[in-house]
Amino acid sequence: MTLLGLARPEATARSLRTRSLVGGLILIAALVGIRVFAPSSSSVDLGHAAQDFVTLSLSVVVESLPFVFLGIVLSIFVQLWLPQSVLFRILPRTPVLRRSVLSLLGILLPVCECGNVPLSRGLMLRGLTIPEAMTFLVAAPIVNPITILTTYQAFGFDNGILVARIVGGFAMANLIGWLFSRAPNPDALLTRKFSAACTRAHHDDDDQHSHRWRRSITSFGEETTAMLPALFIGSAVAGLIQVAASRQLLVTLGSNPVWSVFVLMLLAFVVAVCSNVDAFFVLALGSTFMPGAVVAFLLFGPVIDVKMIALLRTTFTARTLVLLTVIVGLASATIGLAMNLV
Amino acid sequence: MSERFTKRWLGVTLSLIGVVAILWLAASGRLELYIHPRYVVFTAIMAIIGGAASIAAFLVVPLTDHDHDDNDDDEPRPGGRGAVLLRVSGSAVLVIAAVVALLVLPPATLSSATAANRDISSSSTLDSADSTHLVGGDSTSFTVKDWATLLHQGLGDDFFAGKPAHITGFLVATDDPDVVYVARFLVTCCAVDAQPLGVPVYLPGWQQNFAADDWVDVTGAFGLNPDATAAETVVLTAAKTDKIPVPAQPYVY
Repeated sequence: MTLLGLARPEATARSLRTRSLVGGLILIAALVGIRVFAPSSSSVDLGHAAQDFVTLSLSVVVESLPFVFLGIVLSIFVQLWLPQSVLFRILPRTPVLRRSVLSLLGILLPVCECGNVPLSRGLMLRGLTIPEAMTFLVAAPIVNPITILTTYQAFGFDNGILVARIVGGFAMANLIGWLFSRAPNPDALLTRKFSAACTRAHHDDDDQHSHRWRRSITSFGEETTAMLPALFIGSAVAGLIQVAASRQLLVTLGSNPVWSVFVLMLLAFVVAVCSNVDAFFVLALGSTFMPGAVVAFLLFGPVIDVKMIALLRTTFTARTLVLLTVIVGLASATIGLAMNLV
Repeated sequence: MSERFTKRWLGVTLSLIGVVAILWLAASGRLELYIHPRYVVFTAIMAIIGGAASIAAFLVVPLTDHDHDDNDDDEPRPGGRGAVLLRVSGSAVLVIAAVVALLVLPPATLSSATAANRDISSSSTLDSADSTHLVGGDSTSFTVKDWATLLHQGLGDDFFAGKPAHITGFLVATDDPDVVYVARFLVTCCAVDAQPLGVPVYLPGWQQNFAADDWVDVTGAFGLNPDATAAETVVLTAAKTDKIPVPAQPYVY
């Protein structure tokens, strides 16, 4: 009964639901039909650059989409199914300690960086402050068991890369949380659309338990409408940059202790590799680049890259993203340069 | 009306496009053209969950006629009819582009252009590779990755002299008209991080029978490059080269 329209007559609701379902099934049949009757590989020749652009863009979409779905599912769970008393009972009241605990939440919810965006939105809708959600957003892709394990597999304890990544990620997240907690008007950090959604969600707290399945499914539609256009456009931009930019040019600058740090941060921005496996990617460059540059790559990339900027823009203003990029960039570069030069 | 439709269905439509594409790729064994095999099961499972949630979205009708407009009440929408038209048109273009890219165009591997862009001849991918298990092994079973690793380690001309090899890969042209790389991409996560690995093959006049990007099966033996001034001093001299279809698993891991 929870799926039925309450203010509509039962017959009208049933008719609407039937029409909607039939429309959905026709859409799915059409998509399957397009795929089945699409041209074979031998009959389409886009040319190398265009074909590689498509392949690289689709690679980012196919790799990221499952994590976005996972993040949305966890976000819905946190918003609608996890009792608020449980969420807030485990969090200390002191803001500094509270953010510290949140920066470790990624250990329990090891979602890739793309999935952390919808999850952070869910945490804000559930009542966490913006600086608290940002602390989680920055820390979770780095301080989580999968990322730690893959970084260990790639580097072991060589050159302090693993320790620098974990400690640096934790410190950077809490620094960002603290800095944004000083903002005089935190709501101004969010887009007007998402700020309004937060206000509405907080007003609706009393109604959280009614029609939970219905609200969960509606939330899935809303979050995919917010996230997927950004993911698709971000993936296309990432693919375009990959085709247009010479990666080798970046690699040739890798042996300088200062330039190598900034070059690998730029590479992290361009390649947009998932934080769970970025250690394997940068391992290939490990002997070309200095350890500090590798750490800067491993700290900067999980938070800021072309795909993440597109996803984060669904939630934060452009000004907030510029600030976030500058702070994460400065923190990553400082840690990286300190490792190379000290 | 059209903007309301877009807000309600854009995400679900894009989800279904992605879900249909992923499940079709998984069913046809071609998901590995885009991601590492270790993610195939996870990706397929999440696609099924995303697809189920999308279908469920069609079962939910608004509680009231005004449910659609809830979001609009608090939210100033910039612009007039022109801005609305722009948003709706942008959404339509996005959906069409997603359908074309994910469903209409056939799946494809990366080409020799990307291999050249990522500089196959001095790939740093192999700097940290361990080749100790390869030394003394049966060289006829070595892959492009194995040979590229050994060549990159600089084991010396004597090690390679006369060693038989049988490799499969796609052709990437070099500056030397008599030498062509037989290459594969090494993937750690997805095609975005693909690093090209190549074995230089001495094959004078290869351009007459083959083109860059052709997949070939090469049998031959290693030796010194007849051109002593060439950048590649050790090359595989091809005794037999056959053109083959793109293999089911074109990348190496």
